[in-house]
Amino acid sequence: MSNWPNTADVVVIGGGVAGLSTAMQLAMRDCRVVVLERQQLGNGSSGRAAGLLGQLRGTAESTRMLMDGVNIVRELEGQAGVEIFVQTGSLRIADTLARAQEIKDLVEMGKSIGFEIDHMAIDDVARSLPYMKTDGLVDACYCPTDGHLQPAELVAAYLHVGRERGVHCESQCPVEEILVADNRVGGVKTQRGTIAAPVVVNAAGPWSYLVAGLTQTPLQTAALGHVYLTTRPDPERPIDPRSPAIRDRQLRLYARPETGGLIVGMYAEETTLFDMQSLPSGFDMSAMKVRRDDLQVARLIDAVHQRYPWIDERTPMTMTTGIMTFTPDGKPLCGKLPDIDGLFYCSGFCGHGIVQSPTIGVIMADLILAGQTDYDIGAIEADRFWDLPGFQERDRIGRLCDQMHASYYGKIEGQQGAQTG
Amino acid sequence: MKILVPCKRVPDADQKIEVHPDGSAIISAHLPFLLNPFDAIAVEEAVRIREQRDGETEILAVTIGEEVCQDELRTALAMGADRALLVVCLQPPDPWNVARILRAVTQREQPDLVLMGKQAVDDDSNQVGQFLAALLDWPQATFASRLNFVDNGLRVARETDAGLETVTVSLPAVVTTDLRLNEPRYASLTSILKARKQSIDQFCLADLAVELEPRLEIRHLETTASARSCQWVTSAAELVDRLRRETH
Repeated sequence: MSNWPNTADVVVIGGGVAGLSTAMQLAMRDCRVVVLERQQLGNGSSGRAAGLLGQLRGTAESTRMLMDGVNIVRELEGQAGVEIFVQTGSLRIADTLARAQEIKDLVEMGKSIGFEIDHMAIDDVARSLPYMKTDGLVDACYCPTDGHLQPAELVAAYLHVGRERGVHCESQCPVEEILVADNRVGGVKTQRGTIAAPVVVNAAGPWSYLVAGLTQTPLQTAALGHVYLTTRPDPERPIDPRSPAIRDRQLRLYARPETGGLIVGMYAEETTLFDMQSLPSGFDMSAMKVRRDDLQVARLIDAVHQRYPWIDERTPMTMTTGIMTFTPDGKPLCGKLPDIDGLFYCSGFCGHGIVQSPTIGVIMADLILAGQTDYDIGAIEADRFWDLPGFQERDRIGRLCDQMHASYYGKIEGQQGAQTG
Repeated sequence: MKILVPCKRVPDADQKIEVHPDGSAIISAHLPFLLNPFDAIAVEEAVRIREQRDGETEILAVTIGEEVCQDELRTALAMGADRALLVVCLQPPDPWNVARILRAVTQREQPDLVLMGKQAVDDDSNQVGQFLAALLDWPQATFASRLNFVDNGLRVARETDAGLETVTVSLPAVVTTDLRLNEPRYASLTSILKARKQSIDQFCLADLAVELEPRLEIRHLETTASARSCQWVTSAAELVDRLRRETH
């Protein structure tokens, strides 16, 4: 191939939002970056995401990262000429006293760090969301600056700005080998040729543990199935495209408007653990389908029906199913591991890759070029499981990630679930 | 009213299908399999007919193949079929022989209506419904996009290249379903769990007194799909320019 890049400053493996954001930020700092994608750019988890942006997270630092991300997105919108961030506001609703306590704590925490959040009266919730059942709600809180990022537009913007700065992308180009000599990365080998590079970033999402396997490195990620529905627009039941996103932890649901219809998804207690190795080599996540008798779908519809009684098995809707990358503690793995110099990881976003990607790109570029970042990344550092016993075997990593997924929206009252967006 | 719905297990045709190097068969390991989407439409239509008729309808789903095809019969049961029947056949029969087996099932079960997908998305033959109607000497209405019961039978709107053609067939009849007939439902939690426990009748070809008479031999399979690649252009003008220069 004539324009095959034989060398690069950085090779990024994976053309999803994590890899493309990292590539764009590196290119903005004058790095020559090549992105290698096994299939089509933005066609993996990034292309299946709902993109909900809830900025208030369990810690002040993770909230700061998401708020900074919004500013990056605003700049990108100007540069790429697309609307990425749709600011609809977001609501958390509680129908039990334990969930109401969570909301109370959240409002206090948010206010303490200057985040715009307040309780909302149930009558106001009912007025703002006439298509949602509000009987039995005991409390709700509203964050006016939340909303969602449009995943396809975000991918397009990263590419547009990245390309202007010289990012080179190769699609349909799986990496076969990571070249290592004397514990230093030397580049990658693909069917189209090799690229010599002192830095390689593993941003391969659900495939990232297989890519890590190329250097015999155990990576604490697992690939978990996820599904959400999108109702078809119905003139009888208009869904205001600017109505707020919903999080209902009791039913484990999230929802947001989507072009006249409604997206509703669920972090279910049980999900499918994928063995990425056993998928066909040409596996296309964007073409994944659910069976008509899929249990996960049935559970989703069952829960959705409780909150939106007009949605049932026969409602005209599409099911979107894909694969998420989970970690044992619900936080991504970003940075270096002690074994190989120049090999970086950027994976495990646990269903929140779209919204974390803008700031993660900055953090990765900081780490790669300066070896440090202004952000406190203690919670997301890639090496936090490195020598922990019990975090090295695939089976056990899979089980831990699965448990994390099950507690993501925290079901059992009184028990602390993960604090998620 | 008794409705027979033939169901086929097919690989998900939207995934990249690979062929054995010797061209003998597709590589089916790790491929996701589904109930043929056109058959799902037929099951849905049968369930809607039963709902319209206050339940006075029996829906029998039938498939031909190996034990594993029970998965798709359970999909049909979960969607609302009353009974399911597996005709065990280890070699995939060609469309003519599928129709012969279905004729035997039809003669045994005596349905008023055979409602089936217009074609299966794996081989796209689009022959079995027509063969079956001919073998039974029943009227047929293919590519149905709307069904209504009328006094003397079934009025069917058919999708043709020119538009919709409306025909009326007397019963019993064979009707094949097109894409726009309905939108199949998802099965509910309770019906999935119930379908898992339901027993599935099994027959072998000898039980039905059918001997295969293959008329079609698959000599060689190959894939033609080349690797698509995606490139981004920054303006409509660039797109036009590249289309002019790079396409033949």
